[in-house]
Amino acid sequence: MRILLLILATIFLLTACATAQTSDPADVVERYLDAKIKGDQTVLQELLCLPMEADLPREAASFATVTDARIEDMQCEHTEGTDIVQCTGQIIATYGTEDTTFDLASYRVVQEDGEWKWCGEAG
Amino acid sequence: MFIRAIVMMLLSAWVLDAPQATSYREVFVHRGPGVTFYESGKLYPGVPVNIIERNRVGNWVHITRTGDTGIVYLDGWVMTGYLNLDEGFRLSQIPVNTEVADADPNNADYKVTADLYAVPVISEVSRAMQGVYRYGQALGNNSAVVTKVGDSVSTNPLYLNPMSRDDYDLGPYDFLEDTIKYFGPSLATGSVASRIGMTTYVVFDPLWADKELCQPAETPLACEYRIKRPSIAMILFGPNDVRHMTDAEFAVQIRMIVEQSLDQGIIPVLSTFSVHPDDGLWWQAINFNLRLTEIATEYEVPLINFWAAARILPEYGLDEDHIHIANSGFPNIKFSTGHEAWYGTSLQNLLAIRMLDEIRLTLNMQ
Repeated sequence: MRILLLILATIFLLTACATAQTSDPADVVERYLDAKIKGDQTVLQELLCLPMEADLPREAASFATVTDARIEDMQCEHTEGTDIVQCTGQIIATYGTEDTTFDLASYRVVQEDGEWKWCGEAG
Repeated sequence: MFIRAIVMMLLSAWVLDAPQATSYREVFVHRGPGVTFYESGKLYPGVPVNIIERNRVGNWVHITRTGDTGIVYLDGWVMTGYLNLDEGFRLSQIPVNTEVADADPNNADYKVTADLYAVPVISEVSRAMQGVYRYGQALGNNSAVVTKVGDSVSTNPLYLNPMSRDDYDLGPYDFLEDTIKYFGPSLATGSVASRIGMTTYVVFDPLWADKELCQPAETPLACEYRIKRPSIAMILFGPNDVRHMTDAEFAVQIRMIVEQSLDQGIIPVLSTFSVHPDDGLWWQAINFNLRLTEIATEYEVPLINFWAAARILPEYGLDEDHIHIANSGFPNIKFSTGHEAWYGTSLQNLLAIRMLDEIRLTLNMQ
């Protein structure tokens, strides 16, 4: 009995570690989009995939000209076995007195050193 | 001596036959067609003058006032928009002075602004652009299609889009009619690469693309070029970018836009932008404009020096926010009222149409 409990505890710990290490792709995309509208370069750098590293200044400045950028009704879902995270909802931002909207789309994620990273829109 | 006498005789005959006009307000007369030229006198309302010639755009004319004894009382240049012109007066009737410069940079306040004034208001169309145009035609681009790429100054529906309307009123600028007819229909719709808040960064960001019109992962610029297949793109960035990036970063992005356009056989027309001296970013904006002129020279692409042309306009052609361009209020292209001497959008439209005219004629677009 004691051995069985020990095995179960070990499995539980390993699973927990594995989950923490690989993170959740949908969560990564949501965090990325949130950082993008805030222009949070630190978080963007942490979540951006290596091939897109050069695009960091653009990504960080994407919403610099608008105010009150916010995401409404965001729901992201990772399709198991793919590198695609599909999101619905929209970003709303204000320019002067006018609201402008940006529909969310499907995004590509890649694993780098076991961590999921945001890697642009899915083509 | 004999030749000189003949020339003088012909000139006198032309002056006698030259169209006449009066000014409706007191205006300074300059020694050349621009605000940097020294003043050579004042023209008072109601005083008749002869119109001798015009500059390449047509928004400045050379006037003289000659007494009965042949003495010249007044000789210089004024903005066409300041004058009461006969209803039948057409700028195509008078000679064009293609040699006169648009500014006297020696009279600029600073070296950097002198460099900016030295750039013509409307550039000539280089041989390189002939090659780009031919390449674009081979790719299947539409010769008569112009599109807009830029920020809210570009998105303004009163900028170029009214060319698609039939109720244009060119007033004295009759020579622009064929160009309006040629490119006008292509400007009836908006551009997905021209949007409020847009910058030289986000024109490459698929998030900013219209999801109904653009393909997944397509950038606004690539999307617009794919949908319209234009032969010319009027590129207008700066007023937003200047607040969020350095001039070096701006130059990198403008180069990317120019290169992507050229790669697709599309002639990119760059434009400097107006800035108010009270704006804290004045010097930064001057540097941005200089980068634009340098890139235009480097790639031999056309450039409109709106900054220089708008210096004489009230508030430099800008709206109250000192970012956007002041509109005249007319929904159509209207040059019969002289508004190009008062409102930024009217001057902006005039210069853009004149630049398109230069491209169309040089490249024999038909």
